[in-house]
Amino acid sequence: MSVQDLILGLHRFWAGQGCYLAQTYDVEVGAGTMTPDTFFRVLDKRDWRVGYVQPSRRPDDGRFGENPNRVQKHFQYQIIMKPSPAAIQDIYVQSLRGLGIALEDHDLRFDEDNWESPTIGAWGVGWQVLLDGLEITQFTYFQQCGGIELAPVPVEITYGLERLEMFLEQKDDIYDLDWSADVSYRDLRLREEKEFSEYNFNAASVAMLRQAFNACQKEAGRLAAKGLLLPAYDMCLKCSHNFNLLDSRGAISVTERVKMISQIRALVNDIARRYTGGKDGA
Amino acid sequence: MEFLLELLTEELPASHIRAALDKLEAGFRQELLEARIEVRSLKTLATPRRLVVAGDLAEGQQDREETVTGPPLAIAKGPDGALTPAGKGFARSQGIDESRLEAVQTPKGTYLGFKRRAKGTPTSEILAVAVPRLLGSLTFPKMMRWASSPFRFSRPIHNLLCVFGGAVVPTSFEGFPASDGTVGHRIAAPGPVKAVDFASYSEALRKSFVLVDPAERKVVIRAQIEAALAPLEASAYPDEDLLDDLTLNVEHPLVVLGAFPETYLSLPLEVLSTAMREGQHLFSVVRAGRQLPYFLGVADAPGDAKGLIRRGNERVLRARLEDARFFWDQDRKVPLAERAAGLKNVLFQEKLGTYEDKTQRLKKIAAYLCDKMGAAEVKAAAVEAAALCKADLVTEMVKEFSGLQGRMGGLYARQEGLPEAVADAIYEHYQPGSLEDASPASTAGAILSIADKMDSIVGAIGVGLQATGSSDPFGLRRNAHGVCKVVLDRRLRFSFPLLLDRVLAITGDRLSLERPAVKAACLDFFAGRMRFILEKQGYRYDLVGAALGPGLDQIVDVQSRVEALDALKSSPQFEPFILMAKRINNILKGLPAAKVNPDLFAEKEERELYSTLSIISSNAQPMIARGDFARAQGIIFKLQPVLNTFFDKVLVMAEEKKVRQNRIGLLQSIAKMLLGIADYSQIVVEGEKTAKSKASR
Repeated sequence: MSVQDLILGLHRFWAGQGCYLAQTYDVEVGAGTMTPDTFFRVLDKRDWRVGYVQPSRRPDDGRFGENPNRVQKHFQYQIIMKPSPAAIQDIYVQSLRGLGIALEDHDLRFDEDNWESPTIGAWGVGWQVLLDGLEITQFTYFQQCGGIELAPVPVEITYGLERLEMFLEQKDDIYDLDWSADVSYRDLRLREEKEFSEYNFNAASVAMLRQAFNACQKEAGRLAAKGLLLPAYDMCLKCSHNFNLLDSRGAISVTERVKMISQIRALVNDIARRYTGGKDGA
Repeated sequence: MEFLLELLTEELPASHIRAALDKLEAGFRQELLEARIEVRSLKTLATPRRLVVAGDLAEGQQDREETVTGPPLAIAKGPDGALTPAGKGFARSQGIDESRLEAVQTPKGTYLGFKRRAKGTPTSEILAVAVPRLLGSLTFPKMMRWASSPFRFSRPIHNLLCVFGGAVVPTSFEGFPASDGTVGHRIAAPGPVKAVDFASYSEALRKSFVLVDPAERKVVIRAQIEAALAPLEASAYPDEDLLDDLTLNVEHPLVVLGAFPETYLSLPLEVLSTAMREGQHLFSVVRAGRQLPYFLGVADAPGDAKGLIRRGNERVLRARLEDARFFWDQDRKVPLAERAAGLKNVLFQEKLGTYEDKTQRLKKIAAYLCDKMGAAEVKAAAVEAAALCKADLVTEMVKEFSGLQGRMGGLYARQEGLPEAVADAIYEHYQPGSLEDASPASTAGAILSIADKMDSIVGAIGVGLQATGSSDPFGLRRNAHGVCKVVLDRRLRFSFPLLLDRVLAITGDRLSLERPAVKAACLDFFAGRMRFILEKQGYRYDLVGAALGPGLDQIVDVQSRVEALDALKSSPQFEPFILMAKRINNILKGLPAAKVNPDLFAEKEERELYSTLSIISSNAQPMIARGDFARAQGIIFKLQPVLNTFFDKVLVMAEEKKVRQNRIGLLQSIAKMLLGIADYSQIVVEGEKTAKSKASR
């Protein structure tokens, strides 16, 4: 089974569970949680079911293509179901069986792991799912997002596609994975990992990133005040990515780090508050 | 009759399970006691998905006699003793014969009433109310909501099994009606399971690959570990916490022995065991104290016939060890001294600055402690270690495995060829992590450990981060326990208040509270921690109070004091002496200080007391000064007969002011000497206890 078979399998399975299959969002994010298909849709009272592949950028995890497990960009398969179905654990287990994993021969564990993202004012309770000791999924009952208590409560299931694929292909090196029958992960991604690692750690212009951070921050505030919440939120995502790049360049001091994260969070919380139409989430 | 309750949930964290079981057992015992239902046995059990209560309870409440009261007797009966219409009406309304009526005495007066037998409520009815109430009252360290309900619990709930005497208890919890059914193992046997009592429940679950008793699972794990390791003549590196957690993480334990390539044995033991334990929850395998290239995991599965669980864990561990080796190689390329420069980018605490700031303070505090303890020979090592001890926070290894902080720095220091004493001090400076953990073995390590913890405590309290109730985000209690343990283990002597002054001066303007207030709060806080530590060691609370009375000038003296009091508490002289000391305190209460002038003594007995006191005092003072309270106390007992005679023959409150003042002064010098040993007024003696408890009745 190749990576794209895996994606197709998950698409089919979750479409069968009533999920709308979103397309990958086109702004850099650190996690699938941050895209509008999750961030905005968990805030309101309406039912919501969505599944999508989202590249997740973590500049600091770059290893110049030399580490068999770590990359500065990986792919997440993100599911949101709101309200969380009572049988969601069983449904998730079925999704693994659907990928051809004979769970009777394995050790599947829900291991306590509570997730939080201070940047977008979000946290949840749940587990990391371990399959024979390998973390394949983050499974979270979302409690708060954008500083707002979520009701109904959405469940978020995030599969790490490369991890799962390494398990399925029984391979020890991420670059040996098959993306399709004749394209390997190495073909697709190795050059990108090398160049972006160099960019993230050494080449990115600190001055440009700082300017971009400040400009996007200003723009986010201006747009939010006009009620243009989705564009404002995009600006926050850009702030967050620029911040991550500055961090991997080693350009952020201690006090700055705290300040910048709280600046982004304040904007995001403000957008969430406006989106839900109240001031009560403050 | 048998009672069985199982709440089926999604996977609960081990710490939540422990807390819930304790509360459930205590809660049921309390409810049943209050409901007057006999509890013949009651136990709690659990798996990660089940909270279980099983017991043997009486079928119902005992029937009992109760008194029903009606109108006041004066209204119910006429002067002739015959029932008035009100009295007759009461009998009628209760549907009883008038002959059963009698006079009933109540605190409010005499009433007409009668006695009747009340039928006891069946246990099942009591349980129907108690079960949802107790389950609903459970609280957890972190609670969550799910779906569309505002209800909070540890994890979502799926089923309620509740039977008593073979029948379903008519109750429900959060929309789940009680039944006699549950389900088996999530993967191996997810089908339904029926149960009418504990025996059928645990047997049915056993067939469905669930061992419901944690004690049994633990035995199984131990036995499987032993069996797996016998051929290797090896043993699992003991880790009780990990074993306890794993016992609560699986429904059907399966120990899996796996191997990793020998080449990773070049990594330090500390790194290997941390890489195994964190994330993957694996045990290290050792033979004669040496790591072998094997590990043990505990899976939740019936078996691993195809070896897939073993191979999967091997693959994951190999990747982690490969990472660890990369970190180990990379980290050693940069010396700690160079790395320490990066600490200016790591925040210790917002107001207290970065780890670079903390490092500068640690150097000064460590130097001060070396001077005060007469540890000049380790001063250079302690100060160098202070300068380097936090540098490992910016190594890749510690960023990945934060539990290795300190130890990693020590290992890197050794690799760099730094002096042994420096490497050891860095390695040990987080020790002891708890009261059960070992103190640093090296002197420089002990000094650095105290310096580090004192800086954290004084700083945190100084910026208003006190520990309150169950909340102690800065770990102040753990740190204070660490300081006390190091001092007590090594019997270190240094003035604690002066150390506080020094640390306050070094921390200076970073504090947001006034220094005297911070110092007072620190002294209070440490007194509280010493009380906790000594009471935990089993000393009587009043002896601990007496030992803390003279203050915290020398932390180690508090322990010596309580040891002395404890050793002497059963000697025949002890009680009379305490009573005597209390008598002195009572006489002196509220009196201003007075001077003793030997020329003013009028009686032979007071002269004798004065000279005995002078001799005893000059003998005892040096003992007190070096903390030998047992011997000092032994000598001071000798005051007793002389004091007795004094009180028999001499009137302290003499008419003449000069003589009176002089006698008061004499008693004050005795009280002062006694307070150098302990605050005897806090000790409760047998005679007093009975007197007090009588008075309070």
